[in-house]
Amino acid sequence: MNKWFKSGSPWIWLSAAGVSISLISVLGLLWLIASRGLSYFWPADLYQFEMLDEQGRTSTVIGEVYDREEIPAKQLVHLDIQLEPGQETIERYLVKTGNRELVSLDFRWILVPQIRKTSTPENIAVIERRTNGNFYGVIESLVLDGNSVSLDKMPELLERVEAFQEEIEALQKVDIGAINYKLERLRLTERKHQLGNNLTDEIANEINTQVQILKDEYKVLEAKLMSLRDTVSRDQLVVKAMDGTLVTIGFEDILQINFNNQMNVLEKLKLFFVQIGNFITDDPREANTEGGVFPAIFGTVLMVLLMTVIVSPLGVVAAIYLHEYAGNNALTKLLRIAVINLAGVPSIVYGVFGLGFFVYMVGGNLDQLFYPETLPSPTFGTPGVMWSAITLAILTLPVVIVSTEEGLARIPSAMRHGSLALGATKAETLWRIILPIASPAIMTGIILAIARAAGEVAPLMLVGVVKMAPNLPLDGNFPFLHLDRKFMHLGFHIYDVGFQSPNVEAARPLVYATALLLVTIIVALNMTAVSIRNRLREKYRMLEH
Amino acid sequence: MISVSPKAILQSQTKLDLNNLSPDQVALEIKNLDLYYGEKQALQNISMSIPKGQVTAFIGPSGCGKSTLLRCINRMNDLVDICRIKGEINLHGENIYEKHVDVAALRRKVGMVFQRPNPFPKSIYENVVYGLRITGENNRRVLDEAVETSLRSAALWNEVKDRLHESALGLSGGQQQRLVIARAIAIQPEVLLLDEPTSALDPISTLTIEELINDLKKQFTVVIVTHNMQQAARVSDQTAFMYMGDLIEYNDTNTLFTTPNQKKTEDYITGRYG
Repeated sequence: MNKWFKSGSPWIWLSAAGVSISLISVLGLLWLIASRGLSYFWPADLYQFEMLDEQGRTSTVIGEVYDREEIPAKQLVHLDIQLEPGQETIERYLVKTGNRELVSLDFRWILVPQIRKTSTPENIAVIERRTNGNFYGVIESLVLDGNSVSLDKMPELLERVEAFQEEIEALQKVDIGAINYKLERLRLTERKHQLGNNLTDEIANEINTQVQILKDEYKVLEAKLMSLRDTVSRDQLVVKAMDGTLVTIGFEDILQINFNNQMNVLEKLKLFFVQIGNFITDDPREANTEGGVFPAIFGTVLMVLLMTVIVSPLGVVAAIYLHEYAGNNALTKLLRIAVINLAGVPSIVYGVFGLGFFVYMVGGNLDQLFYPETLPSPTFGTPGVMWSAITLAILTLPVVIVSTEEGLARIPSAMRHGSLALGATKAETLWRIILPIASPAIMTGIILAIARAAGEVAPLMLVGVVKMAPNLPLDGNFPFLHLDRKFMHLGFHIYDVGFQSPNVEAARPLVYATALLLVTIIVALNMTAVSIRNRLREKYRMLEH
Repeated sequence: MISVSPKAILQSQTKLDLNNLSPDQVALEIKNLDLYYGEKQALQNISMSIPKGQVTAFIGPSGCGKSTLLRCINRMNDLVDICRIKGEINLHGENIYEKHVDVAALRRKVGMVFQRPNPFPKSIYENVVYGLRITGENNRRVLDEAVETSLRSAALWNEVKDRLHESALGLSGGQQQRLVIARAIAIQPEVLLLDEPTSALDPISTLTIEELINDLKKQFTVVIVTHNMQQAARVSDQTAFMYMGDLIEYNDTNTLFTTPNQKKTEDYITGRYG
């Protein structure tokens, strides 16, 4: 036994166990969010349950089974359910029934003992809609331009409607959006001249003419939009819901119609990927509980990139000063300790600092100086993507400084001496030799900074993230990148969908799906940075002397 | 007594009177140089003249101050915070320790090669032109020419001419050291300081470098530090023996190794300590 201890094996086993535990927890986490998140996109079987309740009434429930659980039979004594001897629990299903215009809740629990008959009829359709969530039912008839047509025409009709929808969306978002943006700019120009007391009649007339032109353009577009909407709304679908009511759904509302029970595995797989694609590229709908998360992905990535652009030069310059120029004295040591301790400050504190200092003080003053025409509505004096990026840059600064300094310290002095002996100054040596060799270490710092910043939510809630941003921070209107705009963020989206949503059951799979996406994006950002670092490392690999 | 190669005997024909050099024969003049590391004195009152176009070797046991003295010549000791220097080193009659001296310009005139080869992690080409790029030279033709001449002078051209743009780190140790020498001579210095240039190399590479040193003195004044007495005897025209921060004896190599004046020198070269 003693010998076994001396051999070191117990320690090897212990360290192996430590590694295994870490691996298992990481894989377990990924597996959990992946399985829960991805199952949301899989086209589930649609069931039709014939129910008989305790009062002897029959009803039909149509929908997807979301969850099943066992509950103690004692809770349901009043229902007078026949129990087998020794049976203490009763199984129940959570069924997504949709049809929010008929029943206010789109989920309901059904008790298994009350089910008389279960079937999966092929003619049940899932209709994904813009508003009111999914509709489950049997399609009765199709109305095209006000006339009933055969059901066979459906795919054709769907295509037609989709084309119209795209046109409508382009009109609304791009063309009309641009006009609104230009009108706002004109209003601001006018106000600016007013404030500067140089609003001559000439300028005013000029502005008015332009406004008039834009308004005329707007009217044309609006008329076009209206006529398009009219066209679309004349196509309708009549569907029979599970309780037998006939519901008319306008095609303008319909995104997709699927007959899950008719699909084979390949078709389901195809739909699965289409759904994932939609989730990634669509805007959210229905208070974020449906639709996609594109603005959140965009906001997260843009914010992280901006943060990287800000933090890298700042951190590198600070590290260079600390390591190369600052004297090796007590003050430098104190500074270094302060920098390292900064990394330990809770992130929400940075959020408070960002709000108080950047948003209110710096932003408020910027508004006074450069954007007086928009006041009292603030431009930079309000949370926005720039302040978020700067706040997170401050938050991740210590990480970059520390790893850059370590990189600088690792460079053999022979490199410096070699350069200095060739008549290079210290600055030239730094720029041409030291920084390139230290670049892998700098990249390590940036990787750590990205990893930390992309997952950070708390400070962002104070300095720029919103539940629903009407516009992306990047669009086709000059100056294209709108740093003052608020943005959406995947981390905050998870919190919002999971905990602020009125429809908890509907939101749960979305939480997992969004979490999976966030993890994927962070991993992707990191992988990019890691591959850049590896390339640099290969380039500046030092020979072992 | 150490055996002296015929080459060294040949060199002794160009024997100079080291105490009475004419100004145009002098490359460097060290006058009353004291050097302190903090409180500790590392060099004591060193005075010597290093003749132009010759190879001068510093020998002595470890810690005797020979490398320190060498580093004084291109002010690499400036990098050591606690280092203080008194006395002068004159290059062209001007003290390099004057306040107004541009250290970078001085180091372009006095190049240095270190104990371990330290090529930069760049291509062979970029290593050689590094010093030229620092001076702002970007003309491709000038650079190409400098690369070829320097690599030829450093006896490396034939080995690397086909892979100039590959990483210098892929070269062998001996090739790296010759590359570093090429890098140092690319900026046309007047003096070349070699700080134990072969101590990290194998015997074959050492031989190549030693032959190279013999060629280099046609163009440059070479000062070499070595702890290998045979090497000093083989390559140098003058040898200075240092001990405990003192310059014990400085004479032409042949005389110093055959008939040393000082007891300490004799003890050292006969291997009684070191």
